Amino acid sequence: MKPPPLLLGATLLFWGWQSGFLLVGAVLGAVLESARVFRARWEFSDEDFGRVWTFCALLLLASALYAFTANEGPSSFSNFFSDANPRTTTQASSATARTAGSIMRWLPMIFFPFLAAQTFSTREAIPLTIISMIARRRWRRATPAERAAPQAQRNFHIGYPYFAGTLFASSFHPAENTSFFWGLAGLLTWMLWAHRTRRVALGFWVGLVALVLGLGFAGQRGIARLAGYVQEQSPRWLDSFLRRNVDPSHSKTAIGQLGDLKLSGQIVIRLHPKPGSPPPAYLREASYRQFKSPVWFAGNSKDDFETVAEDPPNSGSWSLLPGTSNTTGVTIACYLDGFSTNGSPQGMLPLPTGSGRLENLPAYVLRKSGAGTVVAEGPGLVVFDAFFGPGRTLDSPPATNAATSEDLIVPDSDKAALEGVIAELQISGKPPAEILPAVAGFFASKFTYGTWQRRGRGAGTGSSAITRFLLETRKGHCEYFATATVLLLRQLKIPARYAVGYSVHEPSGDGYVVRLSDAHAWCLVWSEAQQTWIDFDTTPASWVAEEAKNRSPWRWLSDAWSRLTFEFSKFKWGQSKLRQYLLWIMVPGLALLLYQILFRRGRRRQAGKKAEAAIIVHWPGMDSEFYQLEMQLAGHGVPRRPSEPWNEWLERVAEIPALAGLQDPLRALLRLHYRYRFDPPGLSDADRERLKHETQVCLESLNRAKP
Amino acid sequence: MNLVLKLIYRADRLVSGSTYWTLRRFTRTGQALLVALLSAAFMGLDTEGSVGYQAFTLLLALLLVAVLSGFRFPSRFTVERGLPRFGTVGQTLRYGIVVQSLSPHPLSGLALLEDLADPRPRFGEWKDYKLDETRHVRPFRLNRRVGPKPFKFATIKEVAVPTLARNQTAEVSVEFTPLRRGIVHFAGVTLARPDPFGLFRALRRLPLSASLLILPRRYGLPPLALPGAMKYQPGGVALATNIGRSDEFVALRDYRRGDPLRHIHWRSWAKTGKPIVKEFADEFFVRHALILDTFTERPHSELFEEAVSVAASFACTLLTQESLLDLLFVGPQAYSFTTGRGLAHADQMLEILASVRPCHAQPFGLLEQLVLNHSSSVTGCICVLLAWDEPRRQLVEKLKLLGLPVLVLVIQPPGETQPLDPGPLRDEPDRLHALEIGRIQEQLARLR
Repeated sequence: MKPPPLLLGATLLFWGWQSGFLLVGAVLGAVLESARVFRARWEFSDEDFGRVWTFCALLLLASALYAFTANEGPSSFSNFFSDANPRTTTQASSATARTAGSIMRWLPMIFFPFLAAQTFSTREAIPLTIISMIARRRWRRATPAERAAPQAQRNFHIGYPYFAGTLFASSFHPAENTSFFWGLAGLLTWMLWAHRTRRVALGFWVGLVALVLGLGFAGQRGIARLAGYVQEQSPRWLDSFLRRNVDPSHSKTAIGQLGDLKLSGQIVIRLHPKPGSPPPAYLREASYRQFKSPVWFAGNSKDDFETVAEDPPNSGSWSLLPGTSNTTGVTIACYLDGFSTNGSPQGMLPLPTGSGRLENLPAYVLRKSGAGTVVAEGPGLVVFDAFFGPGRTLDSPPATNAATSEDLIVPDSDKAALEGVIAELQISGKPPAEILPAVAGFFASKFTYGTWQRRGRGAGTGSSAITRFLLETRKGHCEYFATATVLLLRQLKIPARYAVGYSVHEPSGDGYVVRLSDAHAWCLVWSEAQQTWIDFDTTPASWVAEEAKNRSPWRWLSDAWSRLTFEFSKFKWGQSKLRQYLLWIMVPGLALLLYQILFRRGRRRQAGKKAEAAIIVHWPGMDSEFYQLEMQLAGHGVPRRPSEPWNEWLERVAEIPALAGLQDPLRALLRLHYRYRFDPPGLSDADRERLKHETQVCLESLNRAKP
Repeated sequence: MNLVLKLIYRADRLVSGSTYWTLRRFTRTGQALLVALLSAAFMGLDTEGSVGYQAFTLLLALLLVAVLSGFRFPSRFTVERGLPRFGTVGQTLRYGIVVQSLSPHPLSGLALLEDLADPRPRFGEWKDYKLDETRHVRPFRLNRRVGPKPFKFATIKEVAVPTLARNQTAEVSVEFTPLRRGIVHFAGVTLARPDPFGLFRALRRLPLSASLLILPRRYGLPPLALPGAMKYQPGGVALATNIGRSDEFVALRDYRRGDPLRHIHWRSWAKTGKPIVKEFADEFFVRHALILDTFTERPHSELFEEAVSVAASFACTLLTQESLLDLLFVGPQAYSFTTGRGLAHADQMLEILASVRPCHAQPFGLLEQLVLNHSSSVTGCICVLLAWDEPRRQLVEKLKLLGLPVLVLVIQPPGETQPLDPGPLRDEPDRLHALEIGRIQEQLARLR
């Protein structure tokens, strides 16, 4: 079945309009419909169509590869496979959806060469064996008798499948208005009009179409409203569950959780200190001020974000602390694994304490807050230089009024335990210079590091996890130490904050790698003397060794994979030049295929004939070309009836005025065919050639006399 | 286990039934729109990222309106089917159906569909087939050969009926391709009329039962020098029509009922006063035994079907020569049918072969006994066997010991490349042929 005139052109235009490729759609549509003006046609053989199909398949493959890399497919899937949780699952599925969406949108462009080849060819229908591997296999296995059977090979016209695919491709965009609905309705009506049943009155048909449109329109409105309603009613916790645990506004700790805490060994950051620069000990992502167990909140810092200007524009240079001139630098590569409201990747940058300037950062937007958080919106992977030094930091100073300062708030539930510890240490009223070593010594000597939390005696008595940590278990991970230290210092009226980020300690090559298991929490203490916040980490130094015990013997494998995905992400996010080269690598392959399609038809045909000759023929003469004539004439409306003698059939053929001229050549051919088929000595080589050649001549004249 | 199988069987019936309904009810365009509807439903799940849901509602509305407007079909018809006597597996046959419209309005755009009796098996048969399939499952291969469907009788193309005016009659030609041998039952004829959009069809069923015997598939055989053919008896006369009626006079005897009148010896009757007939020398024609091995445990064995086809090919070909043929096989009991030289025709042999079923209950010894009982009257044996195991080799060995020439054809599953051990035929290995499914025609063509 062939689509009615202009339908495909209009559909391509509609697709261009809906998917943002208006110019492409218009050009493709115009090229396609120009076939009605230009009457020149090409004689493509099955092999030629096969090559065009292979060309389209290669284009599809290239597009799929491009779409996959451009939509964060590799990183999402590597995250998913290394650490399957709701977040990575969501990321992987959304990457898949985006990839599929991109490919679907490009489908009309990808398969246009095939449609154009059929439109501009002399062939009305193409054998299914060209595109279907199953049909091809069946055809290869079929015996000559099966092949000679009518309808043995199914033919198709690409028109309607292309029409459906183009409409499908047009639907991959959010609903902004009802233009898609009305466009689709118009095109479908056009199609139905061409194939309508003639037995019903026009008015009735139009009435039914109006009914369909009315019902369809009401239905789509209903679904849109229903979806909106469901979205409003869906529990918010579900949404928050899918987000990561750390964001600028709050940090959910594992404090109070029982059992073993396992952290992934996946590499998340790579560092290369500048020559002569020491590596930073910590990379901080954020700090928090209010503790409501088990969550730390940013408090007032939550809303004090300010945009950092790129100076000069498009230079990749961002000044976080204007006026500083640090020379200690480190190159940091990290992923932005969240998403902003407009859909582009976004994440908190892990920065060394005292970072004043960022160079070569390809961010679109950069914002900083008083909690020392720097949020970048940009490509999924960023590689940049951070320059840092002692002294000033991004963090806002503590409030001067001690009564309202968020940096001095201690939960009532922990006050008693904290007072107990202070009494034990006898540090009440002492200056900070004495308190800090005493606190550090207290945690180092009397506490141990452990990711395993047992159910203590105090559990179930209403005491908080921090109280139990301080008085009873005296064992925990960094979040316990950092939280307890912050609260202890606050109890002693020293402003302190809870900082999260990563600890840098694992060298790799000429730089360092930071794993998810290196995620760390520590304490920021306000130094009155220096008028700045300083890092104060009371977690026993043994935590690194403890974490190393959990190392998987297969880590080298995941590291190799991580390296591979990192390099891939670099090229995917435009951090290397490879991506540009990839497209160029495909060009020679595609060009070669195009050359074969256009210029190398003769040789292939020859090869095809040899292969055909190799097929065993069981009955003499079954490969006679005369059968092709029979099929061709059947297409002209004179099929041979079952059991009808050939001679009688040829008489019927001759009755058709357009074919009357063929009567004599056909009779001569029939005699040759009979001899070839039934004469025991068969045909001489010359006669066999004559049968072939004259059949070909007849076929060509039949083609010219197409009804 | 049985409960689970029953559930699967019910699901299988449901799926096949609904597929049948969908394919009959929806036109090709309608089927394409159904697929589009499902795709749009899948895409429409994401109402924020895609407008697929708009396409879904439009297609749903279209199909709903098509179904509602296409359900009613009050017109009346009469139909008459002209079936041939036989069909052959794999060979398309055409027959006519005469349709007469009794509707007061002209009817156009009609299609005619044949209704076969429900071919779906009962639970027991289905279970046997499925359990057998799981026992004989082969490792998964992409290019594995898919065997014929055991429960599908035939493929019938639907036919367009020309526009019918009131009381007008039209004859349409139906193309019917049988896929299984045996009897095909026709339940009726259905006339289908598409809705105004050409998506959904209203059906009008007209009961018209009939049955058609489908003969086994037959292969072409080359001219064969069959075993025993060279021992043609010198007293035989090729033109004789009945066995034991050679022109060589032997004696006179009393008339027995059934003796032909032309054999009455009138003079002796006159002398004795009672009818006396002339007796002629018995004729010794070539008489072959075609032994069909029916012993397989598999309920729907492709090997068995091919063995029947090979036997049918021999039955047809040998009867064109001047000989007798005894078909020997074991079904519920041991059977022997003789055809040729006026006794019976090829059609009757093929009719028998069309209805042969595999034998599960009887021992192989029964066939051996049957064959040995016949061995005295036959001049050669053609054995179509399903395997080449010890009992079958012993049978062949015994036939050889009796001095009977034997031609053994062993049907083998596709891909079986191991050559057969000739066993009792080691002195004449060219009398043993393995026929591999898929290449049987090719291998039969090599027989000499």
